[in-house]
Amino acid sequence: METTTSLTGPMDLTEHLNAVRDAALRQIEDAADSDALAAVEAAVVGRDSEVAAARRGLGQMPAEERRDAGRLINEVAQEIQAALEARSEVLAAAAQSARIQAEAIDVTLDYQAVPVGNLHLIQQVIDEVSDIFVGLGYHVAEGPEAELAWYNFDALNTPADHPSRLGMDTMYVDYGNPEDEMNLRSHTSPIQARYMEQHEPPVYIVAPGRAYRNDTIDASHLPVFHQIEGLAVDTNITFSDLKGTLAEFARQFFGPETKVRMRPHFFPFTEPSAELDVSCFNCDGPGSTCRVCKGVGWLEMLGCGMVDPNVLTAVGYDPDELTGFAFGMGVERLAMVRHGIDSIRHFIDNDVRFLEQFRG
Amino acid sequence: MRVSLNWLQDYIELPTTNVEELTRALDMLGHAVEDVEHYRADWTKVIIGRVERIEPHPNADAVRVTHVDLGDGELQQIICGAWNFDEGAVVPVALPGAVLPGGFEIGTRAIRGVESHGMICSERELGLGELHEGIMVLSDDSPLGAPFESILALPDVVFDLEITSNRPDAMSMIGIARELAAWYDLEVTLPDWSLATVPGTPELHVTIAAPDGCNRFVAREIRDVEIAESPLWLRERLRKAGVRAISNVVDVTNYVMLELGHPLHAFDADRIAGEQLNVRWAADGEQIVTLDDVERTLVTTDLVIEDADGPTSLAAVMGGARSEVADDTTRVIMEAASWNPATVMYTSRRHDLRSEASARFERGVDPNLAPHADDRACRVLQDIAGVTILDAAIDVVANEVTPVTIAMRLSDVTRLLGDDFTVGRCATLLRRLALEVTVDGDQLDVVVPTYRPDLTRPADLVEEIARLADFDTFGETVPTGPAGGLLPEQWRTRRVRDLLRGLGLYQTVNLPFVSPEELAAFGQLDDTGAVTDVVTVRNPLREDQAKLCQSLLPGLLRKLRENRNRGADWVGLYETGRVFFAQPWTDDPRVPEQPMRLAVAVTGPYGTNRLGASPPEADATTALGLVSALADAMDIPVERVPATPPGYHPTRTAALVVDGRVVGHAGELHPDVVEQFELTGRVAVVELDLDPLVGTTPPRQMDPVSTYPHVDFDLSFEVAQEASAAQLLTATMGASELVEQARVFDDYRDADRGLRAVALRYRLRATDRTLEAEDIAGERTRMIEQAAALGATLRGSE
Repeated sequence: METTTSLTGPMDLTEHLNAVRDAALRQIEDAADSDALAAVEAAVVGRDSEVAAARRGLGQMPAEERRDAGRLINEVAQEIQAALEARSEVLAAAAQSARIQAEAIDVTLDYQAVPVGNLHLIQQVIDEVSDIFVGLGYHVAEGPEAELAWYNFDALNTPADHPSRLGMDTMYVDYGNPEDEMNLRSHTSPIQARYMEQHEPPVYIVAPGRAYRNDTIDASHLPVFHQIEGLAVDTNITFSDLKGTLAEFARQFFGPETKVRMRPHFFPFTEPSAELDVSCFNCDGPGSTCRVCKGVGWLEMLGCGMVDPNVLTAVGYDPDELTGFAFGMGVERLAMVRHGIDSIRHFIDNDVRFLEQFRG
Repeated sequence: MRVSLNWLQDYIELPTTNVEELTRALDMLGHAVEDVEHYRADWTKVIIGRVERIEPHPNADAVRVTHVDLGDGELQQIICGAWNFDEGAVVPVALPGAVLPGGFEIGTRAIRGVESHGMICSERELGLGELHEGIMVLSDDSPLGAPFESILALPDVVFDLEITSNRPDAMSMIGIARELAAWYDLEVTLPDWSLATVPGTPELHVTIAAPDGCNRFVAREIRDVEIAESPLWLRERLRKAGVRAISNVVDVTNYVMLELGHPLHAFDADRIAGEQLNVRWAADGEQIVTLDDVERTLVTTDLVIEDADGPTSLAAVMGGARSEVADDTTRVIMEAASWNPATVMYTSRRHDLRSEASARFERGVDPNLAPHADDRACRVLQDIAGVTILDAAIDVVANEVTPVTIAMRLSDVTRLLGDDFTVGRCATLLRRLALEVTVDGDQLDVVVPTYRPDLTRPADLVEEIARLADFDTFGETVPTGPAGGLLPEQWRTRRVRDLLRGLGLYQTVNLPFVSPEELAAFGQLDDTGAVTDVVTVRNPLREDQAKLCQSLLPGLLRKLRENRNRGADWVGLYETGRVFFAQPWTDDPRVPEQPMRLAVAVTGPYGTNRLGASPPEADATTALGLVSALADAMDIPVERVPATPPGYHPTRTAALVVDGRVVGHAGELHPDVVEQFELTGRVAVVELDLDPLVGTTPPRQMDPVSTYPHVDFDLSFEVAQEASAAQLLTATMGASELVEQARVFDDYRDADRGLRAVALRYRLRATDRTLEAEDIAGERTRMIEQAAALGATLRGSE
């Protein structure tokens, strides 16, 4: 390096170093990417750089100049180093930014469609109703579907000559002792009798499950459908308890503004018996052109009543000590009313296009 | 039960005729109003006139020229094509300008050169019935010149009521009048059943040989009968009640049935052989031709009325063709008999002959009503047809029914209905129902008329009190019992369903009925290969769906096929439900075994669908993966061993073993079964008992989580083709206490060389130290030894 040896005085050195620094800073600024910057770094602070040459020149300087010269060189070297680092950060950020831009995806597109199935709507309603009653202090009970006629009828105060026991309504199965008539349970009510037989009072249960009737399939009938039975037996259960409990259920299931009304009816296993209507959730009441209630303002929802003393006696409870209420609702009916389902057949068709609709 | 408001007002002075208010009253009495029909005169300018003169039409043979007095003495000339009337007939006349039902306008027009000022109307033209053979001929005393609708009890409202099966009394106008009287606290006026009779005894001997089938048989003989059309008012009442008018005698039996609730039957007295009637049980196989000309074969629970020539009536259900009233009948036996409700129920259903009469008998008609109903029928017939009635009536009583007295305590009421009810209030409400109430302190003795067979116990009276108190007046309270909750197995079952949902599967609900072929596909087989322990439905909907399923798969596979046929690329369905075996159930040996099962079936490309790449087709490995997910999620160890259950692919199926017991199977459908269910490709199937999967285990105790570094290494073993990878994994893992995780990461097969190699990856970690190289070497050696004991050799070691 010819030029370095010509530097003989402090003023020359300062000027020289300023020029070196300015040149280096320009080169650094001009480096377009990290590779270019690495080349610049080698050129401006590497072994063959002007800065290195200046350092090497220190040894030949007179001792009294050496200290100031060394300080000058270091300052310039540090300045260049700082510029290199700053430039490196800028370039890294730019590179990162470019990479991020390059890997953009269309977030509106499902690149990976993860399949999600569903619970059957009937199951969802059963779970929801069960949970409402669990919240009110009930347990959930189950029982056999191929059932002794004793539990299905006799224990529920339904005499041997009751029309519902005829083969055109009830399906019978061949099993076991021919004297023990056996049928596919025509309602979930036999679970009541079984539960009371096996448990001491008080009893607060709901019993969801399948029920069977000898009905041909059409838009409103299935031979196999679902019911939820409810039973409360305790020392002081009143008719108002029945009404209040079902009103609470109706508000939770159909909405907080829902009203209920009870109308007298007849069931063998309750006395008094009633049908429960709930106010239509879809309209303002009677006189409308509502598709849900057909303008009646009320929807027939379930049967209920105070447990007949004969039912309590049949399971070994003392009807003088205990009173109770029972109710039974059709799960399909609840689902059809609330979700606007036009045919009960959908529930057993199991068309995936139907099943996938009721999520959440 | 259809109740005409106008008719009802014969018996009760209602405080209102507001339809909404009456609907509420009937609803709240328990007689649900299913429909309300409004009857109005659907015409204008139809008035009553009398045909004074009839002349032939000069230019037409098919019609006549009539001259009709319209009440003002002047005669109107009207052309009429009907021939069922003579001079003097009183008829409805549509005047020029009248509009008839359907918007049909009447004017003055010339018919073949003769002017016609209006039209004489038939029933059909006025929308009152189907008759169109002739014009309507009205009763002679109809007011000439008055609007025709004035003699028709129009407008009117008909309430269509649903009467519950315990209320025979409410199947009548009088019954509904009584109910409304109780609601509004009114009196009921009973119809007049007094008779003008002539001395005489019926030429008939009646016996009841089946006293358990017939409570009472009442009959009167009616003479000088002339079969004719009933008067308009009676036909109108029948029409609104939904009963077809036939002839005066038959119409009267129906009219009184509707009015009082007691069905009646009219025999042609001259067609009863041997002047005798006997009620008896039918012989098995005995035959009878009923009114509808159908020959019916009877069984021993059918009841017949026979005369000297044999059965002449299917008692309570339908009369016989042989003794029915005909156009030439002149002498009638009017019968009112009350029958055993169950008998009527069985017979009417078995012969598919349900009728207005059977609907009443099934509920239990009051035997004490029979003489009144019989007299009332005779009275009405006398009023409308001037018949002669013999004074001696036949009345055979097989079972006497007397009013019951119910002793009720006030507490019977208050414990159910609350403390608002006093003895006085209870007595007042019950008396409104015409019950006789005697009060003695806190006790009420209540005498119940025999027309209310539904009231036998205090509980029945409590219902009456609640009903009349109005259900709307009761408050709403909620009982406070002990805490509720789901059982562990119940919420664990929900977790199973949630897991399956997350795995993309849809829950289905299927009917548990299968055909013999579907049953055999997955059934429980005996040594000979026949399906055993089948539970059969005695009265199935369809003969080919008479078996209860032993597997949920037939139902699922049907739905798999249907969804595929609708175009679904893939289908993944599951069901939780009961299956049935004719063996005593452990839960209750009196009923057949009916465990809860879980079954899954998947076909087509299943899994995460990456853009541009279909997931793999579901197959046996899908089923095995689902089982692993279930086992992991529910923390129930499920062991899998090769198995060949019916319906499954014999080399791609595992038995699922929990606690040493086979609880189900997982794998692939047998190709033959794929074909049987009209599916294609491979179908992954899983079916297992739900109970072991959701059964609870003791609370888990924590395994320590090590903070020391881990070491991973792989081992690859050559194994026999039929070796169990799971066994190799378990054995090698068991060789070291330091194994934190291990898995099979490759299963390499080279069929040509008969080679199979299983590669396993282990992660070792100590809980108390960092592992050294010598630790690993020792563990590795022991694992290889364990593998060797299973016949697996380390690859590359020889």
